[in-house]
Amino acid sequence: MTEYDPVKTNVSEVITETSNIKTFVLRPERPLDFEAGQFIQLTVPGVGEGPFTPSSSPYEKEKLEVTIMEVGRVTSALHNLKQGSMVGLRGPFGKEYPLDRFRGREILIVGGGVGMAPLRSLFLSLAHTIEDYKKLVFCCGSRTPKDIVYKDAVLDKWQTQFKDKVSFRITVDEGDGTWKGQVGLVTTTLDNLDKEISNFKESIAVVCGPPIMMKFTTLKLLDIGYGHQNIYLSMEKNMSCGLGRCGHCQMGKYLVCRDGPVFTYEEVKNIPNMWD
Amino acid sequence: MEVLFTSTANFHHLLGNLVKKNLLYAPRKKGDFLFYERIETASPKDLILHTNRPVQPLKSFFFPPYQKVGQYFESASPEDTETPKRVILGVKSCDLESLKTLDSVYAGTQFSSSPDPQYTRARDSSLLISSDCLEPDEYCFCTLLGSNPHPEEGFDLNLSPVDGGFVIEVGSEKGKTIVSQDQNLFISADENVLAQREKTRADSLAKVKELNQEVEVKSPYRDMIRETYASAVWKDHSENCVDCGGCNETCPTCRCFLLQDGREKERFERIRLWDACLLTGFARVAGGANPRPKLSDRFSNRLFCKFYFFPENVNLDACTGCGRCISVCIGKIDMRKVFKDLEKERSKGPAEKIK
Ligand SMILES: Cc1cc2nc3c(=O)[nH]c(=O)nc-3n(C[C@H](O)[C@H](O)[C@H](O)COP(=O)(O)OP(=O)(O)OC[C@H]3O[C@@H](n4cnc5c(N)ncnc54)[C@H](O)[C@@H]3O)c2cc1C
Ligand code: SF4
Ligand code: SF4
Ligand code: FES
Repeated sequence: MTEYDPVKTNVSEVITETSNIKTFVLRPERPLDFEAGQFIQLTVPGVGEGPFTPSSSPYEKEKLEVTIMEVGRVTSALHNLKQGSMVGLRGPFGKEYPLDRFRGREILIVGGGVGMAPLRSLFLSLAHTIEDYKKLVFCCGSRTPKDIVYKDAVLDKWQTQFKDKVSFRITVDEGDGTWKGQVGLVTTTLDNLDKEISNFKESIAVVCGPPIMMKFTTLKLLDIGYGHQNIYLSMEKNMSCGLGRCGHCQMGKYLVCRDGPVFTYEEVKNIPNMWD
Repeated sequence: MEVLFTSTANFHHLLGNLVKKNLLYAPRKKGDFLFYERIETASPKDLILHTNRPVQPLKSFFFPPYQKVGQYFESASPEDTETPKRVILGVKSCDLESLKTLDSVYAGTQFSSSPDPQYTRARDSSLLISSDCLEPDEYCFCTLLGSNPHPEEGFDLNLSPVDGGFVIEVGSEKGKTIVSQDQNLFISADENVLAQREKTRADSLAKVKELNQEVEVKSPYRDMIRETYASAVWKDHSENCVDCGGCNETCPTCRCFLLQDGREKERFERIRLWDACLLTGFARVAGGANPRPKLSDRFSNRLFCKFYFFPENVNLDACTGCGRCISVCIGKIDMRKVFKDLEKERSKGPAEKIK
């Protein structure tokens, strides 16, 4: 077995989140310890691999979950898998969110679309020792109410379970007949943020979503006073090996699979075309 | 380490002994070009040891263009297969230099948390017998990158031609073992042959310098490249690029690859293929977003990788001045001229710099 060979893994459940996003519950033959923010390479046998971030809690050891949007070759093969299918796992790779830096602070989480995947894992990590954090604000943007990922959790379960420590700001770009919540782009969830967060300078913001969403969210965060070193962004780059060798994920002087996939805005702000 | 002398006849005797236990490769002429080829006979008459580098980059021996790296959901892996012992003869200074870059990626721990098993096995089971270059061509520019057309490190044994035979320098423990197994083939090198070696080396060095007189720049490439991202020079020079990736493929330090999966009946395989950062799809992600959609961005990124990314990470220029990328380019793009133009642009002063 080489580091290029994946570990045989059973798909024990497939959960449909939205019309093009599914969550897969995976049980690898050998357990694989990860921390929130790290990623894995998921193989569809004979088809190929893709990088994904576990969306489940790192504290759950016997299984892990990935939430995947169907966009191309490998992801459509994944979406065709049924309960009981065999896949392969390599990893974990990359760096985790530096929770040591987060402790004692007000944490803002901003997610859009399938970018909610790593944020769910992060949220569950933070929630595990919620007393370590001063306050959590979870903002989530989706196209329509039907596109909200982890709908039951963000609209209901988490809201009740953590109502003392966490506030939720959920918005959709376009409402429908049943939607009673906020309508507007995800950046509008950052309006009047001073009602929730007392010290923007010290607060940590974690952002994950489509590049354009991360760009405009970051610009707004900078505007309201977030520090460059306190904004954490997920960089989606082309990846092949995950091992720091193949060169695909090179970005400026970094290798995203080794130094990321999460970077502070401070680290990446001068890299040409960083938002593309 | 030791510097010895061996007569031509004794050297061929040594090769005869080596070929019994190893696969021997040496530069051979095919049409107008030199290639490393497998040599089977003990005393090859047409050995070409002292021209410049062959067409194939040395990396092909350790990181081949197509290699099975995994066989998954099965117990046997390619690492279980035997690696042949090889002797590679006639390696040039620039190609030895290129191994520093490849070793940093595949045998070191700065990029990856562990060395690549197949690469390190291929490296360990190869003996490198290098030789001085006496015939640099118009593409050679090792001297602009701080090295010489004669090997100084990284070899097991090195050959310099002198009257009646070779000065043979021992560069490693592996080389020492080879020499000690056939002690009667060597005598210590006397002043006479050493003086001859110095003279020949100086002549060759002067040749490379002369060939590069017009393109020489004052500062090291790695110092010049910073801050040039927005320069129009990249666009000007990439205008003749046809996006073929030939520069990547022939480059001895380009180390990028792509993993591809295949299926053979019930068996799943993972193949590692050379990849090229000049190609449009190299950095493209799902949904079509691309950090380097423009050819000029990919063109400059290749040189930023060599003179910014590698120096930042491992304090090495990932370029040896072997000139393969220049000789292969059908658009006649020459990085030496790119840097010359960057220097000209810089000398115009910051006021005229393109923002
Ligand atoms: C660190 C990280 C974490 C991620 N986490 C998630 C997540 O949690 N959920 C999620 O939905 N997405 C995630 N993504 C994005 C996800 O990896 C991509 O959407 C997925 O890889 C797309 O694969 P595809 O084959 O379906 O798409 P395609 O568009 O078909 O291909 C994607 C890439 O593969 C290349 N490619 C296409 N065909 C081949 C081929 N035959 N051989 C080799 N390469 C080919 C393309 O050039 C393109 O660069 C993450 C990405 C990164 C980098
Ligand atoms: S670049 Fe230098 S070492 Fe390489 S072949 Fe040319 S002269 Fe020889
Ligand atoms: S970039 Fe060109 S000159 Fe430099 S090592 Fe590669 S092929 Fe040789
Ligand atoms: S994915 Fe191969 S180097 Fe990062």
